[in-house]
Amino acid sequence: MTALRLGRPLLLLALTLLLLAAGEVLLPGFIGPGQIANQLKIASFLGLFGLCQTVVMAAGGQGLDLSVGAIATLGGILGAALMNGSNAMTPIGAGVAIGAGLAAGCVNGVGIAVLGVPPLVTTLALSSVIDGGLIVGVSLAHPANGASPGLVAITGRSFHGIPTVAVLWAVIAAIAIWLLSRSAWGRRLCRTGANPITARLSGTNTTQVRIVAYMMSGGIAAFGGFLLTGYVGQAFLGLGNAYVLTSIVVAAIGGVALAGGRAPYGGVACAAILMTVLVSLLTAINIGESGRQVIFGLTLLSFLMLDRYLMRVRR
Amino acid sequence: MRALRYTGILPSLLMLVVVIALNARLQPHFFGLPSLEDNIATLTPTILVCLAQAVIVLSGELDLSVGAGVSLINCLLATVPISAVGGPWGLMGLALLLALALGAINGVIVTIFGLPSLIATFATAAVWFGLALALMPQPGGELDQSVGDLYSGTVSGVPVPLFIVAGALLIWTLLGRHRLGRRIVAVGSNPAAAFQAGISVLRVKLAAYLVGWLLVGLAAIAISAQTLSGDARVGDTYTLTSVAAVVIGGISLAGGRGTPWGALVGAIVLGIVSNVIYFAGIPSIWQEFFKGIVIMSALGFMVLEQKRAAVA
Repeated sequence: MTALRLGRPLLLLALTLLLLAAGEVLLPGFIGPGQIANQLKIASFLGLFGLCQTVVMAAGGQGLDLSVGAIATLGGILGAALMNGSNAMTPIGAGVAIGAGLAAGCVNGVGIAVLGVPPLVTTLALSSVIDGGLIVGVSLAHPANGASPGLVAITGRSFHGIPTVAVLWAVIAAIAIWLLSRSAWGRRLCRTGANPITARLSGTNTTQVRIVAYMMSGGIAAFGGFLLTGYVGQAFLGLGNAYVLTSIVVAAIGGVALAGGRAPYGGVACAAILMTVLVSLLTAINIGESGRQVIFGLTLLSFLMLDRYLMRVRR
Repeated sequence: MRALRYTGILPSLLMLVVVIALNARLQPHFFGLPSLEDNIATLTPTILVCLAQAVIVLSGELDLSVGAGVSLINCLLATVPISAVGGPWGLMGLALLLALALGAINGVIVTIFGLPSLIATFATAAVWFGLALALMPQPGGELDQSVGDLYSGTVSGVPVPLFIVAGALLIWTLLGRHRLGRRIVAVGSNPAAAFQAGISVLRVKLAAYLVGWLLVGLAAIAISAQTLSGDARVGDTYTLTSVAAVVIGGISLAGGRGTPWGALVGAIVLGIVSNVIYFAGIPSIWQEFFKGIVIMSALGFMVLEQKRAAVA
């Protein structure tokens, strides 16, 4: 079991190294230190959104959060409006963004765990409400959309060659790995996902666990969107859209099963790095959006098949 | 048993009456022939995609690639010269062939490879969208007017779109009486029991995907005939709409429970809501928001009603 848990991250890292080597052969200079730091930055954002999916997929019941993109945009736009370009207001912007994300996640969680609407439908419907609301808000209020210099520095700069946002991600990842695989709550989460009936019979409040899972997803997505605002310099409508598909791809490739009960965030983090390198390699060799989409889809399918195969072998 | 089956559709019928009443109040001459014909022509693709999703959901699976599939077929239609396939009928045949091929791929991935349909079709959606973008990086292209004329014409006085929907529903009704329809429901509600009863679960699910994608192909043809151009994002909204319509129509996403009429009602509700929002004179910036709110409340209403019905 431990071997398997390590096997996935190792496989993903090996593939990443292979891609880096291929990149260096095709385009000398592909693995310069500046390049690597840049890719780590991009992977940090993807990794954060992958964490959202990891938590809700582990909670089971066909768990999935298709509202991470809309919630990230919400967090970015709210945060930028509040900080209004000033460093002093940046923490408040972050706090309000995360609060809004938690609230949105709570709506998802109640819809899914209390009302019993399928996660797919709930989160899609919520994301259209949030996107629609943001269109109204932005066109009526014309809020400030620039990131404060401090936030730009945190998300864009490097410290001794290591990007600060990657350090932030590493800290969050370490906490997440501990929370998901070592803490009592993580065990309750996985128990809920693996078999909600036995979990409930053995005293886990599965409704509460699921609501908290969706709230965590919402909070992290909003925080991710807030950081993204710093990285790209400003918040705009559609800021988080690209992360809906990619976050699910990295979660699935990282070894999280849609059936629930498993939350191997280490694998997901490695998958985020792998996919970032893959995208930058594809971009570097001039493969456009269409080719990237096809390769994304095919990569996801092959990992799903690998999972399926491994499951059969184990039986 | 019959009564039970209809409790699912009752609340959605109520919603249908409400939105039609609202629409009739807001849209001048709603019941006039020209505006009815117009509404039906716009609603037809939505209805077809929702019926497609319904067949697949009834068999216990799901397809999140229907929207991207519509886009891919639309882009193919806009790039293939009509002379190469011998007229509008050839073009439509080509569209249906592609639709069947896409459905077969999804079906095989879900049944023979046994991947979870939710995430597997999410992956194929990315592939279809990528291929559509490759065919048509920018919206544009041009379909021959003859395809548009076929769609906006009439067959012995009946508008073609109405004819298509009626045809699709007829196929559905026949399916319900035929062995395959009953098998789809059996497999959807309890695959293990269906297997014990000697039904090939794989073959039935594959058939559900093929029937569903035939309808998706028809929807893509209808959309292309209306826009007469290609756009790799034209189908984007259909995925959410089809899944929401299925839920609003009282079809269980767990499979095996519901009727095509539910999907029809759900599709019309969601389709007419845009009409209502438009004719109510709501400023365009509010339209997205209202649509989201309506979908959400409809879902909440449905689910609460179903819970109440289950308790009673």
